[in-house]
Amino acid sequence: MSRGSSAGFDRHITIFSPEGRLYQVEYAFKAINQGGLTSVAVRGKDCAVVVTQKKVPDKLLDASTVTHLFRITENIGCVMSGMTADSRSQVQRARYEAANWKYKYGYDIPVDMLCKRIADISQVYTQNAEMRPLGCCMIVIGLDDEYGPQVYKCDPAGYYCGFKATAAGVKQTEATSFLEKKVKKKHDWTYEQTIEIAISCLSMVLSIDFKPSELEVGVITAKDPRFRILSESEVDANLVSLSERD
Amino acid sequence: MNEATQYKLKLERLGYHQFRTMERHPTNYLCKGVSTGTTILAVKFNGGVIIGSDSRASVGGSYVSSKVINKLIQIHDKIFCCIAGSLADAQAVTKMAKFQLSFHSIQMDSPPLVKAAASVLKELCYSNREDLEAGFITAGWDKKRGPQVYTVSMGGMLLSQPFTIGGSGSTYIYGYVDAKYKPDMSREECLQFATNALALAIGRDNVSGGVAHLVVITEGGVEHVVVPGEKLPKFHDE
Repeated sequence: MSRGSSAGFDRHITIFSPEGRLYQVEYAFKAINQGGLTSVAVRGKDCAVVVTQKKVPDKLLDASTVTHLFRITENIGCVMSGMTADSRSQVQRARYEAANWKYKYGYDIPVDMLCKRIADISQVYTQNAEMRPLGCCMIVIGLDDEYGPQVYKCDPAGYYCGFKATAAGVKQTEATSFLEKKVKKKHDWTYEQTIEIAISCLSMVLSIDFKPSELEVGVITAKDPRFRILSESEVDANLVSLSERD
Repeated sequence: MNEATQYKLKLERLGYHQFRTMERHPTNYLCKGVSTGTTILAVKFNGGVIIGSDSRASVGGSYVSSKVINKLIQIHDKIFCCIAGSLADAQAVTKMAKFQLSFHSIQMDSPPLVKAAASVLKELCYSNREDLEAGFITAGWDKKRGPQVYTVSMGGMLLSQPFTIGGSGSTYIYGYVDAKYKPDMSREECLQFATNALALAIGRDNVSGGVAHLVVITEGGVEHVVVPGEKLPKFHDE
């Protein structure tokens, strides 16, 4: 037991190392940074917002087809951070799980149950030797009938949790400390304040002065529980009001 | 199941509905519990579709199990279908169709085509034709082709038509709809046409009755119209 690192396959497949670590799962977390993007989600008093960067590296790419915000049901949306192909696969599975729940039980899936289901599936990948974990992190937002707006995050380890505000991606740690400071002061923000906090967090942490085409914003409000991706003009309006405030 | 009943089932599957007569004793009636002897129709007009039905559910042709069931099922925002045949089968199929359509529309990030909805129903009816006994009329509005009406027969045939009628009560109104249908009617003309057709069928078919449920689907949205029994148009002998 005092051998330290093992000469076995614990780095290659999801089995335990002698220290009790799952190297493949840790590598999956590193893979999330491969995407090179950061996303932020914030929960307000009666709304929930997700914001992510929109980087279109190639001039030949059609920018309208590049997105990391996905709709899972009418009233639940998510932002994916990490490897794009894995993200799409997870979104597809989430959509299926949500539709299947509606079919079986007759009502829309609550946000926390959806996240739990995705997390449980991710956990299976950490136990199965033949399948690798997915290199992506899903932040889900939705409006719960009883508890109001919700923000949930699930990661490749199969862990999920509800948040007042959270971040995922390359600059996760810096973004999280920024959000912690904001939450300490107060955490029942209005719709405009929520969006401002999310955008300013990304702006500060990445030191970028965003243009509307470089941001994607998805919102859910109590008045309009449908998951909505803001148009460029709406994002522009928010950026303008943010810069005016400063 | 003896040979005679097996043969009758086979003929019914092929479309010989004359075997469902009043003289049959209820225990011989090969129904799967509650059945909708019914009248359903869907008509295209200028700018939309109207889909309508009666509201009676019967068991064995002599007991009305419900006077006010809604046979117009909304399978997506602007797509409705009306059901004929065994209620249980119809509900199971429409539930499955709703599930598949909602998943499809989320993936496509746009409302589904009416043709897609009709195809989903057809696929379910055809693949399970041995076990199911339900037929549908699907009508709705989509951005690509505007208002459309499709009929999915019990065996799983899919057909697009400008208007269509179905159910046991439809046999009494073929003459009326053939004579009175005009393409490109206005909304009011079409509403009157559909209400008249339902009233005439309800008047002659014992397993159709109750209120007339109508849904008007246009680009602008969906509107329910309910005409209670006593407000249905009356004809010369009533």
